[in-house]
Amino acid sequence: MQISRRRFALMTGSAGVAPFAAGAEPLTAEAVIRRIQAELGGDWPSTGPDGFKAGAPSTVVNGIATTAIATLDVLKQAAKANANLVLTYEPTYYGRADGQGQAASAAGRGPAGPGADDVVISGKREFIENHGLVVFRLRDHWQARKESDMVTGLAGALGWSKHRVKSDNGLYEIPPATAEATVALIRGKLKLRGGLRAVGDRKAMVRRILLHPGVMTPATMWQRYSTVDLIVAGEVREWENTHYAADIFVAGEKRTLVTVGRVVSEEPGMRVCAEWLKTLVKEVPAMWIGAGDPYWRPSS
Amino acid sequence: MTAREVVELIKKNGGVPFNERSYRDTFKVGNPDSTVKGIATTVMATFGMLKRAHAAGLNMVISHEDTFWNDRDDVRDLIENPLYKLKTEYIRKNDMIVWRDHDHMHAMKPDFTVVGSLRSVGVQGGENATMGPHVYTIPETSLGEFAAQVKRLTGSRAFRCVGDPKARVSRILLGPGYATPRITAEIDVVIGGEQQEADGGFDNIEYVMDATSLGMAKGVIMLGHVISEQPGMEDYANWMRTFLHDIPIQFVPAEEPYW
Repeated sequence: MQISRRRFALMTGSAGVAPFAAGAEPLTAEAVIRRIQAELGGDWPSTGPDGFKAGAPSTVVNGIATTAIATLDVLKQAAKANANLVLTYEPTYYGRADGQGQAASAAGRGPAGPGADDVVISGKREFIENHGLVVFRLRDHWQARKESDMVTGLAGALGWSKHRVKSDNGLYEIPPATAEATVALIRGKLKLRGGLRAVGDRKAMVRRILLHPGVMTPATMWQRYSTVDLIVAGEVREWENTHYAADIFVAGEKRTLVTVGRVVSEEPGMRVCAEWLKTLVKEVPAMWIGAGDPYWRPSS
Repeated sequence: MTAREVVELIKKNGGVPFNERSYRDTFKVGNPDSTVKGIATTVMATFGMLKRAHAAGLNMVISHEDTFWNDRDDVRDLIENPLYKLKTEYIRKNDMIVWRDHDHMHAMKPDFTVVGSLRSVGVQGGENATMGPHVYTIPETSLGEFAAQVKRLTGSRAFRCVGDPKARVSRILLGPGYATPRITAEIDVVIGGEQQEADGGFDNIEYVMDATSLGMAKGVIMLGHVISEQPGMEDYANWMRTFLHDIPIQFVPAEEPYW
């Protein structure tokens, strides 16, 4: 195990920063998680979303990968990089139940969804087992950190860190630009494909921006939209926030709502998480793996 | 005829029991006892749609979706909201009435939202479709070609697709609006309006990404909520004309909101 850790360190160019003291206890996934839990604090109830989702907690950790969502492609990259503990913000097994217990019902509107013997679910499980991976969901406790890394991470990815308005975490004041130009910048910085969608006034000048990674509720939209020129959110429901933005456009207010996709909006915050882990777990390397924009659209 | 009397006629002709306890299928704004000069059917009573209905002389709006940006049309937190005030004042000033037909419409046989949505994406055989699951088979094609065809036919700008564009697909399952069906081994492509991206009841997006990673032919197409349920409101207007002859009835589309 020691050799593979050293090899990993060499591969990632971090050789020498993570010495493994001779005779020290091997670092297990459980030990890493205990350290994270102690540092972040709070309660970690077994009924909450945060917790082990796959693999044995007693596994010796060679490296840690953080990601917004542990897709199979992300896990393949983690295995290749010898990062066998994966911390994911979103579920691994396709829903809030996350492979543990019954998935929520489909409310009578179609199939119940894949069963436990489903070929995709078993394929993913097998990959995790064959590569000795451990997957832990870290969402609520990371999001709750007072540093608001999910927001500051997104601001950093957009190049707006220095434009932060001190009194408010989500509020940024950028040099004035049209909504159209701002959306083009967002598309480029976040490497968006089909996931980027905008509603509102594309010619309006944008200065004040609210960053809201993840899901934005109608209540937040109603309270904040008229105080800013543009909102960047992860996802909203179309029949709620999207049409609030469409109605305000018809009413003559010059604002824009941009949604970039839930996962894409959460990726920068999990990149910050990897940097934070490097200060907390020095024995093994930590890295961030992006899942990318899942959406595309035909060109014609 | 009053708006209330129009709704009674709809209930009588719907062919299914009307759930009087539905919080969705109620009058949202305006006086139900106002005289109806004309009826506009639409997927969503957006501000723009209301203006177009008024310009056409139609003062009763039958909307499949909400008016005040939340499913329950709960306006307790909106009383002081300037946009809410503007929209409600416009409706009242012009003696308009908004009534929602959602749950009742999805219970009807056929369900016009599904019929219209299948027709709009070019899938044959859905003339009697209901919200219940039914797999439609199309001539085998690539996901990319199928998606391009669907986008062209619907004019959707909300359009999003997941999966390998080269995947060969033929088995389609469609559920419009927020009722995007769950994908299974027996289905190649699910089509819906919108759905939560992750951490929901079942996350199609991640499932299709992983299936693609395993080399399986799977795809998700999301048309947008308005685009996916809108066509059925034209069917609804046609249906209303079969039992209501003395009042003008028009389908007035809500706008596709995206750039």
